[in-house]
Amino acid sequence: MTSFQFDIGSRARNAGRFIGRVRNELLKALSERKKEGKLSQQELAKKLEVHRSLINRQLSGEANLTLRSLADLAWAMGMEISFELKKPIVEAGQNQPVTTSTVGHGQIKYIDGGRRSSLCQKIVVSPIVSAEAAAKSLR
Amino acid sequence: MPTIEDLVATGAISRIEVELDGREQAQRLLYGTPNFIEWLGKLINGEESEGHLGQATAVEQIDQLFHSYLSGAPLIHNRQFRYIRAEENAVWELKTPDIRIFGWFMKRDCFVCVFGDWADKVKDHDLYRGYRIAIRRLRRELGVDNTLCVQGVDPGDVLSV
Repeated sequence: MTSFQFDIGSRARNAGRFIGRVRNELLKALSERKKEGKLSQQELAKKLEVHRSLINRQLSGEANLTLRSLADLAWAMGMEISFELKKPIVEAGQNQPVTTSTVGHGQIKYIDGGRRSSLCQKIVVSPIVSAEAAAKSLR
Repeated sequence: MPTIEDLVATGAISRIEVELDGREQAQRLLYGTPNFIEWLGKLINGEESEGHLGQATAVEQIDQLFHSYLSGAPLIHNRQFRYIRAEENAVWELKTPDIRIFGWFMKRDCFVCVFGDWADKVKDHDLYRGYRIAIRRLRRELGVDNTLCVQGVDPGDVLSV
């Protein structure tokens, strides 16, 4: 075997990568806030009135992130969440989804008929700009 | 001295790929030994127990890790939250919440997965040393310990992006 396609199916792939993207976005936002000297992890926990270990486990992926905890974390970091669902854009020349599993141990199976059935999700955590600051920047 | 192509041709390692998104291209290379690929296959087929800590299953975590690695995404957010860690003897550990993958970098951005295991098992049984020794032995047996092995311990030594 010269090449192995790690293919877990489009549904699982979509779920795993979405969860990973949310975590990465939170970690990126927290790192930026730390660099700015605006928020430490300890302060984040204090603001949310939870133990620091819970924040650690949520950010490391060891504990579940509910929509509420995601919203709370964004609030505590002074960030806002933008969320949208959109149909994937298909362009000529782009990668095509895998249609078969090449796992040597199991039955070869069609994953989703070669078509992307899932919707494309995007989640971004961005700093909240107050009305006052926005007005100031326009002056 | 064998080249990467020689190692692939003899079946010592195989290229590992995951589906990339429509507009992504692989920025790094990933290989696995036959034993590692067999372990991955068992995991996909559900022959390993499926307990997991967070919301993603073990195979979803691995897919996300491989996708991040191959697409060139950052693997280190800060000292505390990182997907990659240097061990002794030019061995590197790739991490997900539930899984640990041990291997070495043949060149910058070119990682070989040798062992995959559950994080709890690795920690509870302190398997780090054993995996390090086994990986070094494998490199010697393949004749690549001095040629296809990045020695640095700084992430910048093994990842260019």
